[in-house]
Order: sequence, then structure tokens, then C-alpha cells
Amino acid sequence: MTWSAAVFWLSGAMALGGAALAVGLKSIFHNILGFALALVGVAGLFLTLGSDFLAAVLILVYVGALAIAMVYAVMLSYPLDTQPQPRRAAKVLGAAALSLLAAVALFVIVLGADFASSYGLIDPETSARWVGRRLLGDYVLAFELISVLLVVAMIGAVMVARKARMAKAPPTPTPRMIG
Amino acid sequence: MMPLSAYLTVSVALFCIGLYGLVQRRSLIAMLIALELMLAAASLNVVALTTLASGAQGTLLLAPVGIGNRSSVGQVVALILIGVAAAEAAIALSLFVAIQRYASTINVEDLSELKG
Repeated sequence: MTWSAAVFWLSGAMALGGAALAVGLKSIFHNILGFALALVGVAGLFLTLGSDFLAAVLILVYVGALAIAMVYAVMLSYPLDTQPQPRRAAKVLGAAALSLLAAVALFVIVLGADFASSYGLIDPETSARWVGRRLLGDYVLAFELISVLLVVAMIGAVMVARKARMAKAPPTPTPRMIG
Repeated sequence: MMPLSAYLTVSVALFCIGLYGLVQRRSLIAMLIALELMLAAASLNVVALTTLASGAQGTLLLAPVGIGNRSSVGQVVALILIGVAAAEAAIALSLFVAIQRYASTINVEDLSELKG
């Protein structure tokens, strides 16, 4: 077994195991930890595909930023002292049936398709260089739009959360003009 | 090197675990986690396909196909996906905080005011 295959199996197990923890456990904190584990696994899969820059960005954004933001949201919004209600069996069974059906359909499509597979095309040393050329070359419009989208999302998130707090605050007496 | 079908299999499994969580969970934050898992599976699919599948000769997304060149197209698409997912998650989390302050719960089964 080559190093690449070993990393693939390890990362794939981490991704799927972490995903199972992220949806299966009851505690929301454990869900977030499983989510971080799953994304580390996906980053490992990206490494075996030769996209090292993408793997680093994935860990930075998802594990470093998104999981922390989720922990903050849980802190601000979750009633942690209440016991979770038991899951309804009908909903669990329905969800399991739906996802199994989707899995079977996707497996039939994926394994039946005839992709002309090719090996040896990965050149990790130039991967980040090519990504940079693409981002500032053919895809510069998407690059700029993403930055605008992120700014709008950041301002929007601040406004949404702030407005809710002000609506909840007790009404302040309106100042009167004197004189 | 692992074959392409191995990556696609992992991606399908990850996507369906996310689908299960999205349908079954009741907390909005848990549903967001499941949604992000599905997005990660999609970006894994894009990168694996553009890296390992050698399609017909010619152009791919208007870019000339070459070694390193083709894979970088998929990586750029995945980077854009990550950026969109981050923006979406920021908005979603702030909405969850606002919903919690308004309705004192983020359980979707209790948020049924608009249900007919």
C-alpha cells in the first residue's frame, strides 16, 4: 500500500466517521466536534488529490472559523440545561429511507458512469501556482464577486443579530424636546 | 493513486449522511452542520472529477486543458464553493441567534407559526 492510498483510507474513514458523529450524536457540541473531524478528513482527501492549497483553506475556513462560529451560536442560542426530547421514530425512519434511496440512486449513477480515468496528472508543486493564475486570470470576476458577497454577508449578519437584540430590549423613554 | 470511483464513493456516502441529518435533526444548527457536510461532499466531487477524469480533448469551462491546468479549474470552483458556504453560514448563524431571541427556541418543530 502506497502512502497515498494509506492517507486516502485514513482520511476517508475520518470524513465518514466524523460525519456520522456530526449527525448521530445528541449533544450539539459533539456534533460540532464531529463536523470538524469530518472536514479534516475531507482536507486529507484533497491532499491525496494534490490540492494542498485547497486543503489548507478548507481547514482554515471550516475548522478554524466555521466551527468556532457555530460554538458561539450554540452559546448564544442553545438551552443547554434542558433535556433533549426523544427523536420520533417515524421521522428517523423516513429520513433513513430517503437518504438510503438517494445513496442507492447516486451509487448506481456514479459506479455505472464511464469516466475515462487517468493517473499521473497530479503535479502538487505547481498546484497553488495554477490556482493563483486562474483566480486572477479567467476567474477574476468570480473572485471579486466572492469578496463583495463576503462583505455583504458580514454586514448583514451583524445587522440581523443586532436588530434582534434591540427589538428585545426594553423600550427606552423617548427624549422630549424642552423649550 | 486511488481510482476516481473511490473518491466518488466517499463523496456519495458523505452527501447521504448529510441528507439524513438535514431531514432528521430538529435543531437549526445541527441542520446547518448537515448542510455543510453536503456542500463539502459536492466540492470533493468537483475536485476529484477535474483531477482524475480525463475527458475528451478540448476545452473545459473555456480553459485549455493541460496538466495542472485542468485540476486548477476544479480547485478554483471548490474555493468559490467554500467562500459561498462561509457567507451562507455567517448569515444562517446570525439568523439563528435572532430567531432564538424572538421565539426562545431554534427547534424547527416548534417554529410553526406559518404552518397552515
